[in-house]
Amino acid sequence: MILARAEIVSNVWKIVAREGDQVGAGDVLAVLESMKMEIPLYARAPGHVSKILVEVGQIVQEGDAIMEIDETAGA
Amino acid sequence: MFRECDVPKTDHHEVVEASAPADQRAVLTQRRTNRFARVEPKGKRVYTARERAEMLVDDGSFVEMAPMRSAGAGAGSGVVAGWGTTDGHSVVVVSHDAAVASGAIGAVMAEAIQKAQRFAIDKGYPIVYINDSGGARIHDGIFALHGCGGIFALNIEAQSRIPQISLILGPCAGAAAYSPALTDWTIMVKEQGQMFLTGPDIVKAATGEDASAEDIGGSALHTQVSGVAHLEVVSEEEAFDATRLLLSFLPTHKGGRQKRHDPVPANPRAAAALPTLVPEKSSIVFDMDKLLDGVLDNGARLELMPTHAPSILTLFARLDGHAVGILANQPNARGGILDSKASVKAARFVEFCGRFDLPVLTFVDVPGFLPGTVEEGRGVITHGAKLLKAYVDTKSPKLTVVVRKSYGGAYIAMGSASLGAHANWAWSGSEIAVMGPGGAVALLHRRALKAAEEPTVLRDELAAVYREEVARPYLAAEAGIVDDVIHPEETRDRMVAALRMLTHGSGQ
Repeated sequence: MILARAEIVSNVWKIVAREGDQVGAGDVLAVLESMKMEIPLYARAPGHVSKILVEVGQIVQEGDAIMEIDETAGA
Repeated sequence: MFRECDVPKTDHHEVVEASAPADQRAVLTQRRTNRFARVEPKGKRVYTARERAEMLVDDGSFVEMAPMRSAGAGAGSGVVAGWGTTDGHSVVVVSHDAAVASGAIGAVMAEAIQKAQRFAIDKGYPIVYINDSGGARIHDGIFALHGCGGIFALNIEAQSRIPQISLILGPCAGAAAYSPALTDWTIMVKEQGQMFLTGPDIVKAATGEDASAEDIGGSALHTQVSGVAHLEVVSEEEAFDATRLLLSFLPTHKGGRQKRHDPVPANPRAAAALPTLVPEKSSIVFDMDKLLDGVLDNGARLELMPTHAPSILTLFARLDGHAVGILANQPNARGGILDSKASVKAARFVEFCGRFDLPVLTFVDVPGFLPGTVEEGRGVITHGAKLLKAYVDTKSPKLTVVVRKSYGGAYIAMGSASLGAHANWAWSGSEIAVMGPGGAVALLHRRALKAAEEPTVLRDELAAVYREEVARPYLAAEAGIVDDVIHPEETRDRMVAALRMLTHGSGQ
């Protein structure tokens, strides 16, 4: 299991992937909003989304976990 | 006095000398055979110190300085120092010999390194340090420390004279980690090179922390988190290739001739895509690398620190055949913001370019300096100020183009006219302002917005007016703060013309 983390202090603007979704490397998991920029959070490796740890509108700090991705169950 | 112990009584070379005094040719041959005998490298190392030096330079060009120098027992000084050429240009090489006391730096080894440094500085040749050393040689005591200090002093003297590149090809502790920190660019081989103040055993004894050599000083730590090293490669060969590529962009010394190549047009497909590459909506990210492809010569590039503070790109490339340094915001990483680490990375790069007269081309799409408790705690003000200073101090040609947005202090920091840009332009769709339209309107029209029945509608209307009437680059162009407003596809020609003018058409 790996954690997809926020790369910048931001506000969770959109959650794109849902729990249980299969995702591929480079897929957009969520979109964070900071400095008036829409900052995509990408999956680094294929896997499935085992848990979403934040809600839309939540403020997250750099390094905060956004989602749990289970690599072993991935394609 | 410490050198007396450098010539031990039981040196096996003396046996050779005694047995064949009449045949000096045989003696020399035997001595060379002994000295150059290959000691199989240990651990992940693939090549010996001498092989590494030979591989770095053009085939057959390596000449070893003082190959007989010894720190005792005929084993060598602990370093292979000499010179050769890369692509025909002279370079000085210092290669730590891990087969002699783990490459630990004793008095004699330090003296041999300093001799090479002095030679490089005086003659004006770049120097490459191939580091593979456990640090100061404890047996040499204060003489080892004094020697290491002498190496550092020459590292610092060299900064204003010649490019210095450090390769980390083994575990480098203490002095062997500090010397690279005083050089310009450091390249580490993954899972083979480490840099730390002291290794895992002493860390454990000193603080109780249990950490592996990779945890304390591996290439992942230093190329991603700390920024101590600037490039991670996967093999010794790749480290030498990267060094040669890096040297191909640099003059041999301060004031030396810039290495001009034949001009190459930009990648035609990328150039054709320029007018539509940047998303109109300023909040949508895009890949700045693709923009650079459409402007720069289509050929070799070298990005430094690609995985550290990736919201800013620092790379060497060519424009119209000139070697140039590129500083560009990367919207694809953290929105392209400037923060403490990005500022330090950018300032270091611009400062280097200025020191060696390399033109600096700045491509701007920056939402601002990242504010907040974390960044203020990291000292973003101090670090941001370093970038301002680097630009002002740099006297080489400075060309800047704003490709989308440039707000506030980050506008100034990104090679603005006020910091001495020799030529600067803004793309027709760009915005230059003290802050983005949303924030500006909220401040300027606070009362009207508070009184409005539908504040969001009014805010959007006011923001649109602000964007067109205030933020568009025509105000800046009319005031002479940007030289001109241009179409994206005009960027290359404008930059080429400016570079030819600023270098007197000569590459200087």
